[in-house]
Amino acid sequence: MMPMLDCDSVMRQLWDYLDEELTPDRMEAVRQHLAMCERCHPHANFERTFLDAVAHARREHSNPSGLAARVRNALAAKGYAPA
Amino acid sequence: MTVPARDDARFEQEAMRWLPDVSRFALSLARDDSEADDLVQDTFLIAYENWNQYVPGSQCRAWLFTICRNHFYRTRSRAERQVATDAPELEALAAAAVHASAKADGLDDAFERSEVLEAIETAMAELPQPFRDAAILVDLHDHTYDTASAVLGVPIGTVRSRLFRARRLLQEKLIAHARDAGIAPRLAGPDSRGTTQ
Repeated sequence: MMPMLDCDSVMRQLWDYLDEELTPDRMEAVRQHLAMCERCHPHANFERTFLDAVAHARREHSNPSGLAARVRNALAAKGYAPA
Repeated sequence: MTVPARDDARFEQEAMRWLPDVSRFALSLARDDSEADDLVQDTFLIAYENWNQYVPGSQCRAWLFTICRNHFYRTRSRAERQVATDAPELEALAAAAVHASAKADGLDDAFERSEVLEAIETAMAELPQPFRDAAILVDLHDHTYDTASAVLGVPIGTVRSRLFRARRLLQEKLIAHARDAGIAPRLAGPDSRGTTQ
């Protein structure tokens, strides 16, 4: 059983936790701490909002079908002929 | 001499399905649509030419990202710099200080404000390249630390160090942007809005 974590330990592992990169036991221990800690919970929300904001900044191609056609044409010139 | 036929059907099935992902990754690296398109095309041509080196069933997406990134730096004379980083846990603690500072200025919700969201792409582009690459892979393209490690060719610990530094720098830039832009704190509740019935 995972021992109770203190705030400092949770802060150090917070990004690993939000990235779901901790072991299942450690994930659960951090989750339990965040659920009851008035100091760490707002900080976790701040970091989660930050990560969501960055994820939504990903650029999308304006013409994906055009790019796919261009790549396929270039491959065809090299002999690419799937099925 | 007979040239062994490439398995085009398997290339179609395993590699071409990742074209949208590689396209978005190229846009993250190049930040110029035309250059990004060239990069995507080159990536798939290189992958096709080297398809016999791909291990069937392995992580094709990560393999394509590796080709894309390596080709980007090789052809654009953008040498990868080696950088020293502090312990990743210290970066996580430093980010807690960024939050405390933002909170003190009433910018606790900075990352929900449109003025700040619009500044993310520019702030990301300003990050030093090794940190930026880690953030692009994990935060924009959902790679795990493990696959980011494979793409970057560095240990997982280095990915964490670079990623956490990138996040902390990005947060500092965005909070500074919020302050410089004069973004006012949101008021807490209906009683504090200064309106009268």
